[in-house]
Amino acid sequence: MANISCTDIVKSYGAYPVIEGMNLSIPDHEFVVFLGPSGCGKSTMLRMVAGLEDVTGGRIEIGGTDVTDLPPGERGVAMVFQSYALYPHMSVADNITFGLRRQGIPKSEIAPRLEQVAEMLGLAPYLDRRPKNLSGGQQQRVAMARAMIKTPKVFLFDEPLSNLDAKLREKLRTEIRKMHLQLKTTTIFVTHDQLEAMTIADRIVLMRDGKIEQMGTPDEIFERPASRFVADFIGTPAMNFLHATMEEGHVARAGGIAITLDPEAFPSLKPGQKVELGLRPASMDLCEPGVENAVTGTVVLVENMGAEGQVITEVEGEEMSFVTQRFRRLSQNDTVHFAIRRDKVHVFDPNTGQSLRGV
Amino acid sequence: MGRLISVTLTRALLALLIVVALGPILWTVLGAFKELRDIVTPVPKLLFSPTLENFATILRNPTIRDGLLHSVIVVSASVIIGAALGIPAAYTLARHARNWGDDVQFFVLSLRFMPPVAIAIPFIVIYLDLGIYDTLFGLILVYLITTISTVIWLSVPAFERVPLNIEEAAAMEGCSPFEIFWRFALPVASPSLFGALVFTFVLVWNELLLALTLAAQNATLPVVAASITSLGKEVPWGVINAATVLLVVPPLVFIGLLMGLLNTSVQSGRK
Repeated sequence: MANISCTDIVKSYGAYPVIEGMNLSIPDHEFVVFLGPSGCGKSTMLRMVAGLEDVTGGRIEIGGTDVTDLPPGERGVAMVFQSYALYPHMSVADNITFGLRRQGIPKSEIAPRLEQVAEMLGLAPYLDRRPKNLSGGQQQRVAMARAMIKTPKVFLFDEPLSNLDAKLREKLRTEIRKMHLQLKTTTIFVTHDQLEAMTIADRIVLMRDGKIEQMGTPDEIFERPASRFVADFIGTPAMNFLHATMEEGHVARAGGIAITLDPEAFPSLKPGQKVELGLRPASMDLCEPGVENAVTGTVVLVENMGAEGQVITEVEGEEMSFVTQRFRRLSQNDTVHFAIRRDKVHVFDPNTGQSLRGV
Repeated sequence: MGRLISVTLTRALLALLIVVALGPILWTVLGAFKELRDIVTPVPKLLFSPTLENFATILRNPTIRDGLLHSVIVVSASVIIGAALGIPAAYTLARHARNWGDDVQFFVLSLRFMPPVAIAIPFIVIYLDLGIYDTLFGLILVYLITTISTVIWLSVPAFERVPLNIEEAAAMEGCSPFEIFWRFALPVASPSLFGALVFTFVLVWNELLLALTLAAQNATLPVVAASITSLGKEVPWGVINAATVLLVVPPLVFIGLLMGLLNTSVQSGRK
């Protein structure tokens, strides 16, 4: 087990910079998720830690050792790929134990370790099979067993669940999390699925265009997004954005909508300043007309999500949505009033997209 | 009812195609077991008393026997050396030299554009000067151009189809590039490589022109078989048919053996 530290990492393909000066430090035992849209450099970053990609500039250390120029096999890391990458010409047992056999570890020592990981991942009945005779979920478990049996210093997961169906993805996600609670191995997990990241991570590194946009616990990322990009990327249904102008009394006005902001959270706002408000649908609910921060709109569509419903409304020509449990009595063209608590409003600079939250 | 008719028609058509495809081969095999008077009768005979005389003639004839031996030596040497050099070269092109892989592949293919006649005459002169004219070594050397280029040309796509992640997973386990090639890329690509080898084998086994021009005493089987057909009016049809069968059998045996080998190697990936 080990901490990971990346200093001034630069990666470019020819003249194309993919990652520009990234600094990252991951303490021992932590489960870190690299999250971001496709092409943001998260997989490239992971592959550089693994040693599968050359680093153009900078330094990677694992457990205090400089591994920047070491081949993948000497870094003490194990990786699980999206495509499983099982060896098709070997049985499941041979797939799992290949690395140990290659190191010349005696069979008597391998057997109990194989039994242990097979037991842990429920693979015991399949050890003699070929990978192609297993389902996708089983194949990914074999890939995980192959990584685990080596007891590496660091686990690397490259979108391991993306090829699985929704239900299985959820199940394996829980298993990976449980495995981490038990083994406590430092882990980097790459995904583009924000829900996966929120549920599994100790800390999320949200990336965009080869740079870190925000780094923090899932709560920090969700409650205090550092930029409009983060706020938009995290949370379902997606956040509503509203261009507004500040008025006296910490009120942001957009046409007929007036939202009162928390002066302690946004002390720097001045009257006349242009801002962009972020209102999470899940932070809003139906209200009586006239209460603070109430918005009035016309129902366009009601999406039933089971326990609650997303109501999409039209407010002064713009679409806005909110989530409520009392959605069943709403129907199209109804006039509704909904409101948000002032401490739940996010405010961004309309030009830079940065959060205007003080402190 | 309509379905029955269409099924029957399809089957009849299929049967016809099989007869067209296999008829000549069957006729050759039958001819190999016939006496000459059974072959030259105006009415084709399906029932006759078979004879092994034709095969005996061939195997007793030192020219044909030597031709067979020479063919086996020349072809197996050029295919084995061609595979030993061509397969690693193809892997390197597919994985480690991507930048000029396309150029090399085109160059390799361009070797096959060239009509053999174009190189046969200069080769005679060069071989005479080098003192390797009419030697098996000389033939192997010239066939290597064919085998190496064909093996490379057909193996590069075979290696490109091996999922890169498998090789990366092996690298994560500490395998060196050679180990990755030998223990992962090669076994995973083996079914396609097998096809490439068989194709190459057949190509040189049937080669006539270069063998005809570059060898005299040390002729290969196609040369000998060709020379029998130009014996004059009294054509020994039975002997020719037997020689043809003999010419066809080794590739079939070779394919069978390789297939068996392949099946066992794929099943016994464990060690």
